[in-house]
Amino acid sequence: MQTDESIEREEDREIVTTRVIDGPRHLVFRAWTEARHLARWFGPRGFTTTTHAFEFRPGGVWEFEMHGPDGTAYPNRIEWREIVPPERITFRQGGHENDPDAFESTVTFADRAGRTEITLRALLNSKAQRDYLAEHYRAVEGGRETLEQLEEYVHELGSVGS
Amino acid sequence: MARATTTSDVFNAIAEPQRRRILTLLRTGERPATEIATAVGLGASPTSKHLRVLREVGLVRVREEGRQRHYALDARGLNEVHEWTGGFERFWSESFDRLDEYVGELQRMESGDADG
Repeated sequence: MQTDESIEREEDREIVTTRVIDGPRHLVFRAWTEARHLARWFGPRGFTTTTHAFEFRPGGVWEFEMHGPDGTAYPNRIEWREIVPPERITFRQGGHENDPDAFESTVTFADRAGRTEITLRALLNSKAQRDYLAEHYRAVEGGRETLEQLEEYVHELGSVGS
Repeated sequence: MARATTTSDVFNAIAEPQRRRILTLLRTGERPATEIATAVGLGASPTSKHLRVLREVGLVRVREEGRQRHYALDARGLNEVHEWTGGFERFWSESFDRLDEYVGELQRMESGDADG
């Protein structure tokens, strides 16, 4: 506690993303409210979603798996915290219940003359976590080759049974 | 007890170029710590620090043989890393591209169907 660096300010822990969607606010909001809608768009291109549980209410949970283009499954869990149709949704996202890396995001929907501006603000648990998530596309790109080699190696290990 | 491994720890571990060099080196098999230090051109102490970080996130494991410590790759940390490959901003940017398309579809359905 010797310096104020021990306290991390919220603005150092957040990632904000904004996008204008070409459609009315009630429809953009609706796309979040049911698993069948979310399955159509949630996640990067090439990913698919399998829902295990879904309840769209404050305290309700969406439990699902995302499947990457290579077939890898990523467990996901979103707990809806606050739902204010058609203006705002706050949710906590992690890999599983009690995930220490889970973090909270708030998405707001603003009417822009018939189009909808979405703002997603994620508040991470630490500046370090924020920095990895915000920049790690590049960082992981740097590490990707290593990781691919590692994976290959791990497969080899598995096949020789050591 | 070792503390729980977290995703951000794994990223921290592989974000460091010298740790990536160690991982690449270990691809060819288990190595004693002294050899790793020589191969990556670092002193014993910084090397040992990097190895400890890698071990804590489950990317390497250690085997003690007499006074030597031997390090090898460990698969446990890899799944953690994969979880966020592609990045947070790219994740949402691509999701929002898809959302835009899907909302267009919803809109056409709504104007086609009277019940919206």
